[in-house]
Amino acid sequence: MIEVAHLTKHYGGRAAVDDISFTVPRGRVTGFLGPNGAGKSTTLRILLGLDRPDAGTALIDGKPYRDLRYPLHTVGALLDGPGSVPERRAVDHLTWIAQSNRIPRRRVHEVLDLVGLGGVAKQQVKKFSLGMGQRLGLAGALLGDPEILVLDEPINGLDPEGIRWVRTFLRGFAARGRTVLLSSHLMTEMADTADEVVVIARGRIAAHGRLDQITAGHPSLEHVFFALTGDQGPEW
Amino acid sequence: MVSALLAAVRAELTKIFTLRSTWVVTGLILALHLLISVANLRLTTEAVANITPDEHIELFAGESRPARPALVDFMISMSFQMCLFLPTLAAVLAGQEFRAHQLGQSILAVPRRGVLIIAKTVAAAAYLLLVSLAIAGISTTFMYSAVQGWDPGVLTSAHALLGQSRFLTFAVLWALVGYALTLISRRTLIGIIATVALTAVTMTQVLAVSVPAVDALFPLSAGRNLLLNPEDSRLTAGRAHALVVLLLWPTFTTAVAGLLLNRRDVR
Ligand SMILES: Nc1ncnc2c1ncn2[C@@H]1O[C@H](COP(=O)(O)OP(=O)(O)O)[C@@H](O)[C@H]1O
Ligand SMILES: [Mg+2]
Repeated sequence: MIEVAHLTKHYGGRAAVDDISFTVPRGRVTGFLGPNGAGKSTTLRILLGLDRPDAGTALIDGKPYRDLRYPLHTVGALLDGPGSVPERRAVDHLTWIAQSNRIPRRRVHEVLDLVGLGGVAKQQVKKFSLGMGQRLGLAGALLGDPEILVLDEPINGLDPEGIRWVRTFLRGFAARGRTVLLSSHLMTEMADTADEVVVIARGRIAAHGRLDQITAGHPSLEHVFFALTGDQGPEW
Repeated sequence: MVSALLAAVRAELTKIFTLRSTWVVTGLILALHLLISVANLRLTTEAVANITPDEHIELFAGESRPARPALVDFMISMSFQMCLFLPTLAAVLAGQEFRAHQLGQSILAVPRRGVLIIAKTVAAAAYLLLVSLAIAGISTTFMYSAVQGWDPGVLTSAHALLGQSRFLTFAVLWALVGYALTLISRRTLIGIIATVALTAVTMTQVLAVSVPAVDALFPLSAGRNLLLNPEDSRLTAGRAHALVVLLLWPTFTTAVAGLLLNRRDVR
């Protein structure tokens, strides 16, 4: 279970997230939804121990991420940003990650096959398309066979087939009792993928609950989103 | 804790060995050293052939010195001059974390900053030791070729072995300063520039002439004080002093790098 409580983070006097609290239940796909700049990445980076909050806590199974021993066995993460040095081969990138958490080498090839990169394992990452890079990131998240997946905009850069693959994969992952928290600024994707949603706008939680409850009485999730965030942004 | 550290060290070694720029920079340094050695070989061999019956050698025109220590000192100074490039290699090793935001991935894998910084430093030190051994190996091979017709035993004398181990100690500690400065500045180029500046302090000899006590506090000066012979170079402190300075620099800079890694957001 993921518990975020009273999390606050400022950048130069402006609050990127402002006293937000929510929990992510086990065995579900929870969508973390909000327009660009709402504070999704900031929240997830704090949850994963990359950035320091100014106040509040973000715990995974009752502990800060920093205190997890071999964390990749508990949480797999795909963030907007962290990647591989371009001239490194895909297989080498995953190998060092695996070694750091005592994950057996055969698992590297398993996850490469799983995300459909088995055939290009020995290529340098700089030769990868955006979508392939995203798949490599997913492969890294899956290395430790984790109970929890935290994915920041995993659909970005994927082709329609890749999007379908991610959606099916995440549904299957949650169906086995595991937990997914994935962010998106794309309404349509969430409607097909998430059980629960946490909606964030301007650094504050605008709504939190089961997808069907939140959409009740509205023609579509898109309308809910407009109503909750006041966002008319053309970017989505 | 120990097993987590070992796992992290192993991952760091893989990062180093699977990075193309590691091989390019290492290759350039060793190739340059080989080139300089080959270029020096003829004159040195001639000097050895002209060693006087009372075992004096003239390695540099007009300077006659006892042959055995002079040859060993020359071999060590050949290795020493290549150390100018080791911090650049170290900066490249450290700087990979700031390319494509790899550091984010590293922190996800090893979130405890203390473990990560120790693992990184141990792995980098191990690799730098390997390169330093290769440098020492080339210098030794060069000197062996020069003295084989006279007395190869000069290379296995206590003086020679002590000099070699002093060189290895200096090479790794000095390069680690470049490593830590790159982690602090989060830019390979700044790490390189900072060590070039440190190098310039020593090489220009400005401080060595005006305030030797201050000069002796700089890492490359300490390396010179540890390795070179007072007859060949202007030394500004004794060997014990030099060793302490050489230990303090990487310790202090690495501690700062660890502290900053702990306090800053990962970028
Ligand atoms: N490193 C940073 N420095 C300054 N401002 C930042 C930084 N990261 C994020 N922000 C700001 O914080 C707010 C939230 O950003 P972010 O969490 O990336 O939003 P999202 O992921 O929902 O698009 C934005 O206004 C963004 O400009
Ligand atoms: Mg974002």
